[in-house]
Amino acid sequence: MNIKTEEKNGYVIVRLDGEVDLQTSPEVRKALLSFVDRKRNVVVSLGEVEYIDSSGVASLVEAYQSSRKKGCKFSLADVSASAMRVLQLARLDKVFTIHATLDDAVAG
Amino acid sequence: MVDNLVDQNNDSQERMGGARDFSDQIALIAEMSLGFASSEDITETLGMGLTRIAEYMDAEAASLFLQNAEGDLVCRACCGPVEITGLSIPAGVGIVGRTVETGTASMVRDVLADPDFDHAVDEQTGFTTRSILCAPMQVKDTCLGAIELINKRTGDGLFDAADRSSLEVLASSAALAILNSQLSEELIKQERVRRELEMAAEIQRNMLPKAQSDDYPIHGVNVPVFSVSGDFYDIMEISDGRIWFSIGDVSGKGMNAALMMVKTLSLFRCLGKTIHDPGRLMAAINSELCETVSHGMFVTMVAGLLDPKSGEISMANAGHEPPLLLKSDGQTFEEFAAPMPPLGIIDDLGDGGAFPEDHFDLDGGALYIFTDGLTEASVPGGGMLGGQGVRTLIRGHRNLTGSARMNSIIETVRDMGGPQKDDLTVLVVADCSPWCHVGQGGDDSRLLLSLNVPAQSDQLKPIRVAVTRETRGCGCAELWVQDLVLAIDEACQNIIRHAYKGQPEGTIELELWHHGDRIEVHLIDRADRIDPSLIKPRDLSDVRPGGLGTHFINEVMDEVVYDVPADGVGNLLRMTKRIE
Repeated sequence: MNIKTEEKNGYVIVRLDGEVDLQTSPEVRKALLSFVDRKRNVVVSLGEVEYIDSSGVASLVEAYQSSRKKGCKFSLADVSASAMRVLQLARLDKVFTIHATLDDAVAG
Repeated sequence: MVDNLVDQNNDSQERMGGARDFSDQIALIAEMSLGFASSEDITETLGMGLTRIAEYMDAEAASLFLQNAEGDLVCRACCGPVEITGLSIPAGVGIVGRTVETGTASMVRDVLADPDFDHAVDEQTGFTTRSILCAPMQVKDTCLGAIELINKRTGDGLFDAADRSSLEVLASSAALAILNSQLSEELIKQERVRRELEMAAEIQRNMLPKAQSDDYPIHGVNVPVFSVSGDFYDIMEISDGRIWFSIGDVSGKGMNAALMMVKTLSLFRCLGKTIHDPGRLMAAINSELCETVSHGMFVTMVAGLLDPKSGEISMANAGHEPPLLLKSDGQTFEEFAAPMPPLGIIDDLGDGGAFPEDHFDLDGGALYIFTDGLTEASVPGGGMLGGQGVRTLIRGHRNLTGSARMNSIIETVRDMGGPQKDDLTVLVVADCSPWCHVGQGGDDSRLLLSLNVPAQSDQLKPIRVAVTRETRGCGCAELWVQDLVLAIDEACQNIIRHAYKGQPEGTIELELWHHGDRIEVHLIDRADRIDPSLIKPRDLSDVRPGGLGTHFINEVMDEVVYDVPADGVGNLLRMTKRIE
């Protein structure tokens, strides 16, 4: 798994790829919270995510909840089919703001 | 007095010593010994040996007498002009009787002067006896009989002291040779009996079930006290996938008990193929045994049917030691006492042709059935293992499985040091229902994957890769495979995080089965028992991190069962997903 970040239109774009599981999710959690803690608007790109488990989803949930407290934006974009399946199983597809593309996410 | 009568010419010793070569005598002894050792017909060998002695001693006639069981001396071989084979002389009578009684050689150079000489034979046959030499056939204190020589062909026709010495040596050698051949005949007989027993024991051993693989639910062991056993056990699958098991103990030990064991075991195998109820089977075996049983012999026996898919057992007990069910907690026992007397005593015992049955579920436990060779095994300091001792022994081995458990129990009993007094048989029926593939879909059942890995997060990816590879190979759709992989991954995470609480030394055992239209997953950890009622998916409306894994598992899989492994240690998660 890799984490790449870039900035665009005042958003921090966090690109995840590979497999987010019990071993790699702590790194994801740490990265996401570091931006949210600084009240940055975050878009997580999940287009290259091949696998995500409950611990990966938990990292997203924790960052999302933290962003609401801090009053910054947090959304998901370009969600791969396998990641979307897991979000649906967790009934989180209606909780998160999910954009079809990264451009959509940073436009608003 | 004897010496006075016989020893009248010491001078002749030198004369005869020169005439007969000493080495000839050694050669003759060697020849006789060899003849007896290799002889199959001792009478023929006696006759040949006696003829050679007569030739060597230049005697006109010779006869060999052996003492029979009544103490009479019977002529077993003779050579010369008069045939007296079969002639019987009462103990102590005549010159032969005197020789045997005193154990000393007799030499008679004037028969008319010897009051013991019996003239009757000479009178009947017209033969003239002038001189007699008779030596005992003696080995240490045992006198088998005597060899008698009559009339010397050479010289003055009389035997002398040198002849006496020669015959004494030859007679002793003949006695030794006969004794040896009698002993070896006895040894051959014993060897034949031993070989027959060994063959019987082998046939019996072959009647017992072959060793089963470790994941098989039923294992047994039989250790006879002699070469043959009066105990038995058997394991036999029937067409519907259920498995018969039985154990029995015939009263008494040795060959008669062994034969009865063979009969009972044969009845069980034969009748068990058509009768599929333990109660009716026992009643049928009982009436067969009652028809032909040897007086006073009986059999205690337990027979039961295990459904390996569910762990359910139906069982009947005829006068046997109560089987013990060690429950899944590894501590509590349930006892199944015998409501009926042993088989082979009273016909028509069954109520309506059936013995009463116990019905129960192994439920993660294991059923132990054993013969009194176990309860009555000697313990150090005297006394027997007893009921409590057996329970302690069983608890001590509950973590082992399969043949390892059987062998360890037997080793422990042996190590207690007492001499084995009775045949010892132990049978264990374990709950392998979570693992069992016997009869489940038959040829459709296939083990796709079997892993035993450390319970660490870096193992999750290799597990996912392996599961993906194997299930794709079964033609499962990509999304279906992803769901299965997610459920297995989440279950492994639960083991790492909750069962082992992050302790790194735990292991995860994973098996993936393909049963026809479904995939079955078995996940075992060896951590402390977890109460399944505490494993609950959380309410999803409460959005928070964590607690999603169990929900994923339940969502994705068609069946999820939290269970106990067959050996009672740790936790077993059994999950099934139908192939779409």
